[in-house]
Amino acid sequence: MGEEILQKLKQSVLAYDQTAAVDWARKAVEASIDPLRALDVLTEAIREIGEGFGKGDLFLPDMVGAADAMKAATPILEAAIERSGGKRETVGTVVLGTVYGDIHDIGKAMVATLMTAQGFKVLDLGVNITAEQFLAAVRETRPEILAMSSLLTTTAPEMKKVIDKLKSEGLREKLKVMVGGGAITESFAAGIGADGYDPTAVGGAVLARHLVGK
Amino acid sequence: MHKGFTRKFKPLEILTQEQVETIWSRALDVLWVTGVRIEHRKALEVLERNGCCVDYDQMRVRFPQGLVEESLRKVPSSFRLKARDPANDVILGGSTVHFTPFPGMNTVDLDTWEPRPPTKQEFIDGVRVLDACEHLGCFGSYTPYFGYQGVPPAMAITEGFALQLTHSTKAQFMEGTAAGSDIFNLQLAKALGVEYCGVVACSAPLTYYEDQIDGLFRYVEAGFPVACGGGHVMGASGPATFAGSLVLDLATDAAPVVLCQVLRPGTRTGMGDIGFAMNMRTGSPDFGGIGTSLHQIARAQLCRKFNLVVGALACGISSSKRIDFQCGYEKALSVMTAALGGANLIWLHGGIYGELTHHPVQAVLDDEIAGMVGRFLQGIDVNDDTLAVELIEQVGPIPGNYLATAHTREWWKKEQYLQKFTDRLTLPEWTAAGKKSALDYAKERVEQILATHKISKPLTPSEEEEVQRILREGYDYYRSRGLL
Repeated sequence: MGEEILQKLKQSVLAYDQTAAVDWARKAVEASIDPLRALDVLTEAIREIGEGFGKGDLFLPDMVGAADAMKAATPILEAAIERSGGKRETVGTVVLGTVYGDIHDIGKAMVATLMTAQGFKVLDLGVNITAEQFLAAVRETRPEILAMSSLLTTTAPEMKKVIDKLKSEGLREKLKVMVGGGAITESFAAGIGADGYDPTAVGGAVLARHLVGK
Repeated sequence: MHKGFTRKFKPLEILTQEQVETIWSRALDVLWVTGVRIEHRKALEVLERNGCCVDYDQMRVRFPQGLVEESLRKVPSSFRLKARDPANDVILGGSTVHFTPFPGMNTVDLDTWEPRPPTKQEFIDGVRVLDACEHLGCFGSYTPYFGYQGVPPAMAITEGFALQLTHSTKAQFMEGTAAGSDIFNLQLAKALGVEYCGVVACSAPLTYYEDQIDGLFRYVEAGFPVACGGGHVMGASGPATFAGSLVLDLATDAAPVVLCQVLRPGTRTGMGDIGFAMNMRTGSPDFGGIGTSLHQIARAQLCRKFNLVVGALACGISSSKRIDFQCGYEKALSVMTAALGGANLIWLHGGIYGELTHHPVQAVLDDEIAGMVGRFLQGIDVNDDTLAVELIEQVGPIPGNYLATAHTREWWKKEQYLQKFTDRLTLPEWTAAGKKSALDYAKERVEQILATHKISKPLTPSEEEEVQRILREGYDYYRSRGLL
């Protein structure tokens, strides 16, 4: 029975079905299935989607749909983990957002999904995020990686502002900084003192693992 | 006046009249039911006074159908853009067709195909080559590049506009607005007697940010024309279906048209289509896809319901990173279909990979495409002279021929478009000449332009001084706002 519920949970993500994902996550909790195991199943599903995307069999709408289904189910399982006093093992935590003045979301959302598939816990702050908001999230969650996106040449300098603030607050050495987006180049990333840059979402997620030594 | 080309036959129509009415009807429904978010207090107040329903908390404006249709009918069906040299003024609208450059963020190395930011000299060279392109009617935003090495992002648009005005006398179709750049672009234009369409760009879906609407107020106050639009990416910031995308497009672009017309009835307004499908592998717009052509033709047809000036902004580019076969066919197909579909202004010259790369060599090649498409648009003249019945009678069957006749000498050049920078040689000639390709000829042409081209009207010393004064003012402005 437990295995059947987990399979249904996984299938709901593979079918991009948020409602089903929520239902099967609840059923998993009600059936006293280990919520850590259920979360692993969600990660397996999103990894399969990521692999399909990498091979060219699946496309962005598939990835975003699966990610949304996973996001809908995850809080239910996380709450169960918290109640049980357990702790989720992850590769690391990533704080992610599009910088202030820039509202482009899609590329960043792709990276978030693929990082999740790589085993990271991803805190996606959204778009138009100020340096202060990035810093607040870093102070609160102490992530291994801060990842920033910018599609516009006019907003890319915001990344340097964030890095400068990290330095001034003594937080810079405690995490790795990744940057990406249409406006960013390798030389720009190096120039502002970022630790990593990749022009693609798939490459960015792989780079994140390298940066944390996994 | 730069006449551009005139389409002498009916534009290609891919929608039935019923489909046109349905799409417009649904767009008007969206404007009333969903509305448009306009993040500008003064605009909300103006629109409310003119009959719109405004939710100030959500900054959402719902437009009544009557107001929208009345506003669209007030838009002039054609208008003139004053260039620095009156010989280069252009008239947009009706069946006229002009070509304009496609800008790029970077230039590209022609050996390695690696993109990189251009130098200031490369920016100037790019402007000079475009100025020399015979079939280019007017410049556009960020042309040829978004900026150049060393220019601060906040000043990139204005510095680029100053270089365009300094090194070219072509008309300026439009300039974008970002963080108040229109303040200084308007000053530059007025100082040099130029008019351009100020761009009011939406952020899809259905949103206008404050700086765009600030720009709209300033353009209308200055009596300048306004280009409304910005488009969306189908499947990402707009519906994946063509019909839904067109509905969203019309609704989005009609909103600033209404604002222009209530502020100053009769404001010259154009609507531009920069809609792409999304490349669902990469998340980039699908540059050069045939779907874009379908969208542009349908969009032009829809705009003709109100006789609006319409630009095809999403054509004339490719997903290829090189100047190659793919680049050529994607550009030529999209430009030809846009021209057949009735667009008044077509983006073309110099664009390679989307908005990411531009090169003067590509611009020279594109001028050939423009010439060929333009010739096609002029159609076939049918009169006694061209019917040539008397000549046919005079020449008769073999051994008669037409080569030595006065009629042939008079007409052949008029009837055909003569390509200038592509390979038209016989095989022996081609071999003897070093087996050159169109790319080789285009490179040579660019070198020739840079060595010899002179603009028709250089700036006077006092004009140059005024340009520099305005630029200094721009730097002061952005410095005071912490953007430099």
